[in-house]
Amino acid sequence: MTVRGLRKSYGARVVVDDLDLDVPAGEIVGLIGANGAGKTTTVECVQGLRKPDSGRLRVLGFDPVTQAEQLRPLVGSQLQSSALPDRLRVAEALDLFGTPRARDGGELLEQFGLTQRRRSVFSSLSGGERQRLFLVLALLNRPRLVILDELTQGLDPAARRGVWDAVRQLNDEGTTVLLVTHEMDEAEALCDRVAVMRAGQVIDAGAPADLVERHASTAVIRFSMPDPPARLLDQVRRLDGVREVSRSGARVTVRGHRRIVAFVCAALVRWDQVPADLAIYQPGLEDALLGLLNGTHDEAPVNGELIGGRR
Amino acid sequence: MNTAVGRLVRAELRLMTRDPLVLTFVFAFPIVTMLIIGGAFGTRPDPAFDGTNPSHWYVASYLTVVIAATGLVMLPVHLASYRERGVLRRFAAAGFPRWSFAIAQLTVGLLTTAVACALLLAVAAPVYGIPAVHDAWRVAVALPLGAVAFVSLGVLLGSLLPSARAAQAVGLLLFFPSFLLGAGGPPPHVMGSVVKQVAGPLPLTLLTNAVRAPWLGLGPATGSLIAVAVLAVAASAAAARRTAL
Repeated sequence: MTVRGLRKSYGARVVVDDLDLDVPAGEIVGLIGANGAGKTTTVECVQGLRKPDSGRLRVLGFDPVTQAEQLRPLVGSQLQSSALPDRLRVAEALDLFGTPRARDGGELLEQFGLTQRRRSVFSSLSGGERQRLFLVLALLNRPRLVILDELTQGLDPAARRGVWDAVRQLNDEGTTVLLVTHEMDEAEALCDRVAVMRAGQVIDAGAPADLVERHASTAVIRFSMPDPPARLLDQVRRLDGVREVSRSGARVTVRGHRRIVAFVCAALVRWDQVPADLAIYQPGLEDALLGLLNGTHDEAPVNGELIGGRR
Repeated sequence: MNTAVGRLVRAELRLMTRDPLVLTFVFAFPIVTMLIIGGAFGTRPDPAFDGTNPSHWYVASYLTVVIAATGLVMLPVHLASYRERGVLRRFAAAGFPRWSFAIAQLTVGLLTTAVACALLLAVAAPVYGIPAVHDAWRVAVALPLGAVAFVSLGVLLGSLLPSARAAQAVGLLLFFPSFLLGAGGPPPHVMGSVVKQVAGPLPLTLLTNAVRAPWLGLGPATGSLIAVAVLAVAASAAAARRTAL
């Protein structure tokens, strides 16, 4: 999937503004960003559900604007804020949405724990059950591209893990996945690459680890040591990657590149000074996103007296 | 019937049998009101009813009430609720062909009116008897044309109104005056001149006239039939455009 210069406005409000996005075949790509960043509009344009104001789109070899009829059957999608008729039963939904090339719906229901609900009407399903049913419908017709918008919203932790496993399995079978999400742990767990959107544009893209490296590389280590040997702190300060060592009473805080975790812990072991309350904060994709969106990366909140450090 | 339209029609027919609004408004309401009004004026030929048996006048009028209930109330509410809740988006995203939903709604609407009309006649037959049809081909042309016109109007209304509640309010507001002035209410001869003028051009009045007059031998009603045909073509074209997925 290739998108170049996509623009879409609703009235005077520009929602997607000159957006470029690539989703290579066989990858799981995440689209992340704050509310109103234009993520949903983007995927709606990609599916041919909305007509872009301008831009070039190519999805599975088709133009979603002029060839939506050919494209849509190849795309499985789980849309945000959509529903099924209240009185439609689960098994009937499979009949309704299953084309002649559909997979065995019974297997999918089993996989997503809906077998017991086959005869239940849509309105009686819980939020999580609805999400799982939408996922079943998205996968039903052996799509080549699956678009999942707010995939695990409203799911309990166990159900979320189940859905993640299903997405991984799907991807292992060769299906390309575009995942729109607010859940950074989800993006980190599933995505090969993520694209971060702000105000209708992709502001950075890359593997989750690369984004973390670029926008949130500061790790923080905290521990209590009532009377730390001066030479120990000196040594810590000189460790590769350490930017700052501060002390507030017995609390010691060390900040620096992610790799300091290994060096600092090794030093503590070497000095036989392993503290009982050692706490390590490794930044993740969420920090990278906040850093990117707010320009506040590498500003982990630490209060205390600065006793040394270098940048 | 594993085509998209076939699957949609099958699901919609199933859902319809579970929908109380459809069951009461399209199936029960016309029958109950026909039984009441049809019995109110007796069976003796009456000049106010163009010299026909009033019960037969109403039997010949009420098939169009079924058609109007389907088109003005059932379909707008149904469609508006689908759009409001994102069901149509889901159909579009699932790859249903552009016209499949419009065709399915037309099919379901026509089937519903056919079944409800048959039921109405089955109830009327033992109670008032079914009047002899004088000009069968005109009736046979007018009924399906009228059904297409009103079903399309309904689909159009459903696609224009913002919510199911709005559709219900507007639908009932259109239905009841049409029903009272154009089909199930007093005959035109007893209406005052202003009311008669308002009633005359209403789509339901035209359709009822196009069905009832040839049925009871009161004239060909060619003008009404042409008007209904024009409405059917215009409304179905507009409805198909508006409901393309």
